[in-house]
Amino acid sequence: MLLTSVIIVLREVLEAALIISVLLALSRIAGIRLNWVRWAIGLGVLGSVIYASNTAIVSDWFDGVGQEVINALLQISVYVCLVIFAVYFAATHKADDANKQRLQALMTVVVSLAIVREGSEIFLYLSGFVGDMTQFTPILTGGLVGAGIGISAGALVYYLLLNLKRDIIPYLSTVLLASVAAGMAGQAALLLIQADWLPSQQALWDSSQWLPEDSVSGQLLYALIGYEASPTPVQAAAYFGGFLLLLGLVALSRYRRKSHADG
Amino acid sequence: MAALYRSGSLLLLVLSLTALPAAAAKPEFKIEIRNHLFEPSELVVPANTKIKLIVYNRDSTAEEFESYELNREKVVMGNRKAVIFIGPLKPGTYPFFGEFHPNTAQGIIIAE
Repeated sequence: MLLTSVIIVLREVLEAALIISVLLALSRIAGIRLNWVRWAIGLGVLGSVIYASNTAIVSDWFDGVGQEVINALLQISVYVCLVIFAVYFAATHKADDANKQRLQALMTVVVSLAIVREGSEIFLYLSGFVGDMTQFTPILTGGLVGAGIGISAGALVYYLLLNLKRDIIPYLSTVLLASVAAGMAGQAALLLIQADWLPSQQALWDSSQWLPEDSVSGQLLYALIGYEASPTPVQAAAYFGGFLLLLGLVALSRYRRKSHADG
Repeated sequence: MAALYRSGSLLLLVLSLTALPAAAAKPEFKIEIRNHLFEPSELVVPANTKIKLIVYNRDSTAEEFESYELNREKVVMGNRKAVIFIGPLKPGTYPFFGEFHPNTAQGIIIAE
């Protein structure tokens, strides 16, 4: 039971921790104060408690696929906010206070929405063991261990990013954000397939023999780039389309900023 | 923020349009969760057909139906049911488990 709770909490925390660390690194190099992250985590935790306590109601929406639809909407919202953030970040050269506030607001929305989706599952899991102290204590211990590993991984990414050469950080961070965002788009597509709102198809490929999703590297890659062992064409299109759209828009906004500065 | 709301409502519109053709009847299958066990733990379904799986959770605590092979993951609240659309599947076996109690809640779907 201890190991189960380590894995469940780690899986959910890892993804949010990676987004947070990339956004914190970008805040540092843009001279944005880091206090937004406290708001984001606070709002996210509050939101996930509210969502978890209403999951039974949400589940019954849309003929029993409310969970899928609402989770897909959460993922799509995170994707859209990440795109707006990345484009806006690329377009602002010397961020003034108004720009910084807008960037902070966007990052707060991204992180709190990402936490709502992942955090609510942790609360639902833990709530099943409240009142049974013989089980709850090891489960909570395992959960804290899992959260600790996830947060450490995030801290590692944060310091790795900040130790790179300053002019590389925005490029690498953008690619990382694009991967995370693409993972969100792919997940949203998968949820809508599960809800029968998007067509379900045969998988494009199956790499589960080489890299199982439930292996350690599979889980890491899932959190980092949204790895799926057997995606369908719709899912893959959402993933790669989402990836290229973010990078394309960022490149366009960089190009316009450059030509504006030159002309 | 206004731009955000606009893109959000546009997405909703696109999503609701894609939902229209999906109303055809699909074969239904039922599984129960009792004492953190799946009943039946082995379910035979037709291959190459989309099915509607209804999971009844008879326990008072939440469970998460999860399968890497089926690419499915869904929380089933205590004393509630959940609808999960699966397939069309190639003939074969597809393990699933309850993520919140993986030591006991194990099952397999056989498509043939």
